[in-house]
Amino acid sequence: MSEAVVMKPAAVSPSNGGGKTRADGDRSSLAKAAIAALSIVLLATMLFSLAAGASDASIMSVIGGLFSTPDGSSDALPMRDRIIIYDIRLPRVILGALIGASLAVSGAVMQGLFRNPLADPGIVGVSAGAGLGAVSMIVLGGTFLAPLITLFGYYALPLAAFFGALAFTLILYRVATRRGQTSIATMLLAGIALGAMAGAYMGVLVYVADDRQLRDLTFWGLGSLAGANWVKVAAAGPFIILALLVSPFLARGLNGLALGEAAASHLGIPVQRFKRIAIVVVAAATGASVAVSGGIGFVGVVVPHLLRLVIGPDHRYMLPAAALLGASLLLLADAVSRTIVAPSELPIGIVTAAVGAPFFLWILLRRRGILDL
Amino acid sequence: MIEVTDVCVHLGKRTIIDRASFIAEAGQFTIIVGPNGSGKTTLMRALSGDLPFTGHISINGRELTRLKLWEMAAMRAILPQTTSLSFPFTVREIVKLGLTSGRSGAARRGMDSLPDEALQMVDLAGFGGRFYQELSGGEQQRVQLARVLCQVWQPVLDGQPRFLFLDEPVSSLDIKHQLIIMEIARSFAERGGGVIAILHDLNLTSMYADRVVVMHGGHADCVGTPNEVLTDERILRVYECALKVGALPASHIPFVLPQSVAV
Repeated sequence: MSEAVVMKPAAVSPSNGGGKTRADGDRSSLAKAAIAALSIVLLATMLFSLAAGASDASIMSVIGGLFSTPDGSSDALPMRDRIIIYDIRLPRVILGALIGASLAVSGAVMQGLFRNPLADPGIVGVSAGAGLGAVSMIVLGGTFLAPLITLFGYYALPLAAFFGALAFTLILYRVATRRGQTSIATMLLAGIALGAMAGAYMGVLVYVADDRQLRDLTFWGLGSLAGANWVKVAAAGPFIILALLVSPFLARGLNGLALGEAAASHLGIPVQRFKRIAIVVVAAATGASVAVSGGIGFVGVVVPHLLRLVIGPDHRYMLPAAALLGASLLLLADAVSRTIVAPSELPIGIVTAAVGAPFFLWILLRRRGILDL
Repeated sequence: MIEVTDVCVHLGKRTIIDRASFIAEAGQFTIIVGPNGSGKTTLMRALSGDLPFTGHISINGRELTRLKLWEMAAMRAILPQTTSLSFPFTVREIVKLGLTSGRSGAARRGMDSLPDEALQMVDLAGFGGRFYQELSGGEQQRVQLARVLCQVWQPVLDGQPRFLFLDEPVSSLDIKHQLIIMEIARSFAERGGGVIAILHDLNLTSMYADRVVVMHGGHADCVGTPNEVLTDERILRVYECALKVGALPASHIPFVLPQSVAV
């Protein structure tokens, strides 16, 4: 026996000379720089969105107007512009940013939870569940669900959408996941079934809806920020902000989950509790977004995917970056939807789907060999 | 010390582990061998806290079922047979996940260099920037070992020994890296930690094991030193294969044993 020989690892020559390396594989400083840059981009996008539009108020006068009082200095905005900016554009910009952030973060959390880059609330039926909740509230709000509207006021709609999203997420997780492993094919097929199910129930509700409700439903269903106002900001804001505030605490768990459920718990992560929180976060963010803006698709799949390509999948950085990039992209999409057919406007859901759906196909094409579809 | 007493594991109606008992001491390298389906991996999963079981398992005198996940994470680290990743992490990012529990035991200042040291140990120095999914199976396995080593970097922490659970750590490795990994495990034990590994290679087992646990039909058939355990009779009974311990092949047939490794 010659155990004294001992192949000291250090004494063994490295097999492949280290190979091609992108620096040392630590992307955290790159990610931090990206977050800083995206914060500036979001700020610029918000100001641009505030100033862009039919009114001729300039960016500088908008900035000046934000920090002055109505009866203030001589260069204050005229009353007409003040109304346009404070009551029409500002709520729209804030709502757009919140919804963009919420769509991107709920996509990223869901992908981490399902260990699957194609899991997006819009694609796997969670948005459909939220929609079913919202439509139920719109149509039945006058009759069966009237007490809820009395009780919750304008929170009734986002609450209904939240519970719809929660129910559908739980069903999806139950169907698509076995022993912590999600089958991509099962997940996508379950999403189709859930979408069809929600569609059928919504069809029934549309059938019994009266004319006024039908008009509400049509505007809601187009996926639009057009009706943005302070009431909608107040209704959806708390859900989205809560989800955004909780999401950083999910980052460590989502990173661990990338290794698989068992390995994550071996690292000391309380996987079961953590999954429940993640599902509630996804449902809250998706429910609130769908309640006020209808179906805006593909932001949740495009944004996290782009970020993973650039700063990597570490959720500690990816989640805040996704919130910032999602907000900026949605505001840009909204700017496009407002101007491309001006003076009319295109529902924003059409813009995001037109760009996002081909992108989704491109992801599928690239990963065809890797995913067991 | 890890004490396994009368442990039974049932999956559905089947009994996978049937009253298995053994002790794995700190400072020792314990190797579990046995044929396919004898319950080695199931036993490891019970030890890891992944499966419900009856009987008792204790780590350093504490009942496993009463330990919280984060307490277990500070007492032992587990290398699974294979790990598939859902997202494109770099090797360094994966190794750093081993620091999640925050109880590696390395000095705060040394934390940043820990992934590099761990990669160096598993002979993957300079691989930090590569994407995990681009590596070969054997390289991926060694990256995971580096991550696991980071989790329990100091074999003894606060006077308590810590443990490495390795499920077939060398199954996808070439002979050089098999030896490197076995040396890492032995060194961990020599520095006061405990190692429990599942192995198929009886020669490596006899070369490195302080204690061998032979699993057979869900039962710990025998526990002892390699000399006590590896007998013709037991190999025939457990593996259903008539092999002779210590018999050499005919002189014209080349054979290579890991024991022959030289400086």
